Amino acid sequence: MANKGTSTFIIQRLSAMAVLPLVIWFLISLVFHAGDSYEETVSWLSNPAAAIPLGLLVIAGAIHMRIGIMEVIEDYIHSGLKTVLLALNWLFALTVAATALWSIYQLAFAG
Amino acid sequence: MAEGAQSARPLSPHLQIWGWTVTMAASIFHRATGVALYAGAALLASWLFAAASGPEAFAFVSDILASPIGIFALFGFTWALLFHMMNGLRHFLWDRGLGLAPKTATRTAWLVFIASLSLTAVIFWVGLNMRGGA
Ligand code: HEM
Repeated sequence: MANKGTSTFIIQRLSAMAVLPLVIWFLISLVFHAGDSYEETVSWLSNPAAAIPLGLLVIAGAIHMRIGIMEVIEDYIHSGLKTVLLALNWLFALTVAATALWSIYQLAFAG
Repeated sequence: MAEGAQSARPLSPHLQIWGWTVTMAASIFHRATGVALYAGAALLASWLFAAASGPEAFAFVSDILASPIGIFALFGFTWALLFHMMNGLRHFLWDRGLGLAPKTATRTAWLVFIASLSLTAVIFWVGLNMRGGA
């Protein structure tokens, strides 16, 4: 944790606390949906009871993992490469979140 | 060596060494699992994208995930997630000043390793049975 340590720390913890119940819900759901067909999967994911917590998991998870990897990068990389990696980290987190959210949206309205 | 001289030494240094090792291992594992889950997030996004793209794309990804390598990877990601989540609870306790005593930290580190692995095994046992029974 570098300069803006305190607020980063707090967001890291808050996002972790938000992710925690959502991960538990997601893992339990996955067990119950193991081996589902395409149709079953789409009908599960297009239900708001799944789409909404999944969307929240994606958002909180993206925030949490972006900060987590930022800390890892800051711990090990001290050259000019650091800025590039931090930018790529942002790009990765945003791409993962955007792809997942777009897909959830598609499933909810096209499924 | 005389008996007396020997018994004056610490009897079981192994315990201390192990304690240091397991808490260190948990700490390193927290970081390693965090990095692994970063990759796992891409897998989750790909799976959702495939589902949103239609039956062919979904079948393609499902087949990969249902292959032995796929099941192995899913087992690894599930364990990583459970370990990271449970060890995250240790961090939450430490933030409140709890569980910081070396003995407690050692115990909770063991607990997290054992509980996360056991729970992963249970999840896969139930999940694979679900799939078989469905
Ligand atoms: C399941 C609930 C989760 C909890 C309770 C949790 C908790 C935490 C905590 C407390 C930290 C800070 C550790 C420290 O200060 O050293 C952390 C770090 C981290 N987390 Fe999570 N996390 C969770 C899920 C995830 C997920 C889903 C991802 C990835 C997609 C992730 C990726 C990371 C990364 C990369 C770090 C940085 C590791 C490090 O600095 O060593 N976490 N997590």
